[in-house]
This record gives sequence, C-alpha cells and structure tokens, in this order.
Amino acid sequence: MFKDLLKLELFPTTWCPGCGIGQIMIQLAMVMDELGLDHTNSTVISGVGCTGRLAGYFNVDGVYTLHGRTLPVAEAVKLVNPGLKVIVVSGDGDLASIGGNHLLHAARRNPDLTVLCNNNQVYGLTGGQAGPTTPRDTKTVSTPAGAIYDPVNLQNLMKAGAKYFYARTTVFHQVHFRKCIKEAIAWPGFAFIDIICHCIENNGRRLGFNSAYEMLQYFRQTYKRAPDDAEILEPFEIGIVRKG
Amino acid sequence: MKRLVQGNEAIFLGALKAGANFFAGYPISPASEILVLAAEHASKNPDFKFIQSEDEIAAANAIMGASLAGAKSFTATSGPGFSLMQEAIGYGHQVEVPTVFVNIQRVGPATGMPTMPAQQDIVQTNYGSSGDYYPLAFYPNCVEECYRYTVTAFNAAEESLSPVILLSDGFVGHLNEMVDLGAIEVKVVPRSRPPLGTGKRFFTGLAHDEKGNPRTADAVVYKEWLSKVKTRHEKVAARYSDFEFKGNTSSDTLLISYGIVSRVIAPLASQFAMFRPIRIFPMLGDELREHAQGYKKIVVVEANDGQYACLVERELKRDVVKVPLLGGRINLDLVRKGLSEKLEREVL
Repeated sequence: MFKDLLKLELFPTTWCPGCGIGQIMIQLAMVMDELGLDHTNSTVISGVGCTGRLAGYFNVDGVYTLHGRTLPVAEAVKLVNPGLKVIVVSGDGDLASIGGNHLLHAARRNPDLTVLCNNNQVYGLTGGQAGPTTPRDTKTVSTPAGAIYDPVNLQNLMKAGAKYFYARTTVFHQVHFRKCIKEAIAWPGFAFIDIICHCIENNGRRLGFNSAYEMLQYFRQTYKRAPDDAEILEPFEIGIVRKG
Repeated sequence: MKRLVQGNEAIFLGALKAGANFFAGYPISPASEILVLAAEHASKNPDFKFIQSEDEIAAANAIMGASLAGAKSFTATSGPGFSLMQEAIGYGHQVEVPTVFVNIQRVGPATGMPTMPAQQDIVQTNYGSSGDYYPLAFYPNCVEECYRYTVTAFNAAEESLSPVILLSDGFVGHLNEMVDLGAIEVKVVPRSRPPLGTGKRFFTGLAHDEKGNPRTADAVVYKEWLSKVKTRHEKVAARYSDFEFKGNTSSDTLLISYGIVSRVIAPLASQFAMFRPIRIFPMLGDELREHAQGYKKIVVVEANDGQYACLVERELKRDVVKVPLLGGRINLDLVRKGLSEKLEREVL
C-alpha cells in the first residue's frame, strides 16, 4: 500500500487545506509503491519552503536541506551510494531561484537524480511573493503593480545540456503525472519534472480563484497533451522531452 | 621515510589516513592543492569520490550529503569560500553532520590580498553561522601537525557529530618540511552513524525532536536539544585540549600565538613565556587561566587585528596586549617592533 510509505501519524500535514503539495506527495508515494521503492533502497530529499516539508512525511530516510541546496546534497548522496534511488522534491523558488546555479550545473553533470519541482509560481510559505516562475503582469505581494519580468523558461534551461529529461505535467492530470514520475525514475540521468501546481491561499485567491477546485479546473481546461513525438513543449502543453 | 611534504599535502594525506572517501571543493588559493590532490586520488581510486563544485556553497552542502550517505567527507577553502560555507556549517550543527572543513586563511575581507597569508577567520570560525552552536577547531603550526590534526579533526567530527574546522594559513599551507608521515601514529575513529537507506529517519535543518520530526515552536524541545549537543561538544573538546606551553621564570610576560606566528616568534622563548593553543575552539579556558597565572602581561601576537586577543581577554577577564601582524607580512622583525612599541621597552 502506498500509505505505508507515509508517516500517517504526522497527519494532518503542515500544508493549507486545498494545497497541491499533498497531491505531489500521494502521487509520488503511489509510484514508489508500484516500483517497490522503500526505506531500504531510496531516499527523498527536499529543500526549504512549503514543499520542503514533504520529505519528512515519507517512511524512508529523508533529508531537508538548506534553502536551495537540495541538488548538491542529492548529487553527493548518489555518488557515495549509487544503489540508492535519490528523489528530490522541492519548490520552484528553491530549485530555480536560490538554487538556480546548482540546477544549471547539476543538469550539466547529469547525475542519476529524479527531481520533482512543485511549480506553483509563487513563494507560498513567506506569504505570496513573486518567484522565478511567476508569469509577467501577475500581481503578488512583492509585485503589486504586476510582475515586470518574464519567468524563467525551465524547459529551455534543462535543454541547454547535451543530455536532458524534461517533463511538464500538472497536479490535475494524475495519470500523466504518475507516468512522468515513473519515466523520470527510470531515466539514467538527471530527470526534471516541472509540476504545475496551485497555491490557493497565497496566490490563487489574489488571482481571483475561489477555491483549489477552481484552480484544478483551470489546469484541466488550459493544459493539453503534447504529441508523443514532440521535441518541444509549447506553453500549456504537458508531456516529456528527452535526449539521452 | 622522511621526505619533503607540503602543509596542504599533509592535510590531504591526513584525511586519507582518517578514512576520508569524499571531497567536494571549489578552486581557491592557497587551498587548491588539496582539491587537486583529491582529484588525482579519485582518478586512481574509484572508492574515493570527488566533485569539483560550481561554488563553495555547493561544496559545503555536498559534504553534508556525502556524510549522511555514509562517507567521511571534507572540503578545503580559504576566506571568501569559508564565508560562503557558513550557512552549511550551521546546517551541519543543526542536523548533527560529522564532516571536516579546512580553511587555509589569506588576507581579507572579501578577495583581500590573494594570497598573502593571514589568520583573519578566527572569529568567523567560532561565530560565522547563525544561531548558537559550539564548533570544534584545530590550528596546527607545522607540516607534521597538519597531518596529525587533520586526523584529529575527522575523529572529533565523528565523536561530536558536527562539522569540525581545521585552520591553517597560506604560510603553513605552502610550507615544505622534512617529515616521515608513515611514522606518525594516530588513532582513527570509525564512522558513527548508519548511512541513508537504512532507516526511516528525517535529517532536517529545522529544530526537531529525537525522531527528527520538526518542532518549530517548542522551546522545551529546543533547549533540551541544544543542551544535549553542547554537553556532547564539551565532552569531545575535553579529549583534545591540546596546547603547548613553555614557562619562563625570568619573564613577567606571556606571549600567546598560534599557527605560523608561533613558529616565527619561537626565537623569543628565551625572553618570554609562550602559550600556543592547538585546539583553538572551544577556547582553552582553564588551560589559559592556569598558565597565564603569575604573568603580569599577556600579549597575543597574531596575523589579524586582535581577534583571538579579544577572546582571550574575555576568558581571562583582564587586559591583553595586542600585536597584530597585518597585510600578509609575518616576520620576527615586525614582531620585535610591535612588542617594543606595546611593551615600551626594546625587545631584541
């Protein structure tokens, strides 16, 4: 049972009602259960932020690193213990902003890591400030007149390397989400999953959504599957692009 | 067999002797020799893992991950890199990660005077990261001690479950001396904690309870944890209260120095009593008090503007004369001049 992989005794979690991270946790646990990953053969490493708390709910040895430093820690763990499946789960701010330099270089060195990026386009834990993935013109508490910069293009960043695995999915598209996690774990290198997720309390309401459900419906209506042989994911397409 | 060994090489070989099997680092003078030796060693020994990181922040966090995964890990850097590593050092204290940071000091702040030797990271070593923590640090003054105290640093790291600092300076780091490393007998403490992949633990930089579960608003849990760690560190430190003292009944003045400065001022031993801390942190309180007794004047000669002197003043609760050697110039003439000025008599 996937529930055996979770420390249910710590529930309810620290996250707000309606938070998307719970979905990331459940989908990852389901895939790990299916693949036979447990405390004897895997570790979950997360950074700081709401998503950072995720590793602490898994019934495996988990590490909660400093803000932005999941990848240097994870890469070292994998190097020292190549037999261990190393799964990194962190937020877009942690991975792409404060940890941006590590993301660039970890992707270049291409260690066998699976990275799940909770892309909720905001700094949720600190109250809803703009992050590296916040779309232009979005109003947040730190961009009261709307974000003045374009967001980082994670797909292009990952594809800068000679070898890459980049998947985009959403927390609504659960079957696709699990497929992405499974293929990322099977990928013999640095595999990055860009998970479009929602933060209702510190972003969604400000954007005009009334509930997490409405945000999920928005993902359902907006995001479409890319063709299986796509070499590039267009905006609002979910799919996997890779080069080994 | 005796051969010429460089200080930095002795540190690397000491690490191997202690069982180190992981190095991550970023090139910086005057510490780069250690990184290069680690790279060479890794290329011939697949069990020794090496990462040349994208920056010192990554290196410091990589050695945390490596340690949690079961390796004996270390990094080597100099002042600017040591500053970048401070957050990870604090992390190592919160998460209780045994690992070793080597700092071959140069003149700062910032890029400073690359790569003139200095001892300017003394305070940073003890207080560089956020929060309360109780670091152990050692400061050798010759090539043979670089080897010996690197092993000690690894041992103390495993015993205290914390990042231990090995301090040196550009002078000792690049010093070549005849030494027979094979003849040095050292004790090696084994790895202390089962590696990742053997339990259901949570290693977190958040304040946590015994199980590792975050307890971010519980003062009782926090204070119990801090007190437990503090007691453990004091116990381990007491095992390594290493210092050197040469009394001088004909003098009323005690000179305190460490690292390269203690070598440079050695010829003054006929005129002064000498005290040299080797376990530089935590401060050698009782040892300092005992040996300072009976001396009218206490002088600290160091290659910074009085960093250790201020800490000695606090320990001894009395005024200390400061003789700073600044700008990378460390020689006996400057020390004599400084002493003559401060003691208001001619020191030859």
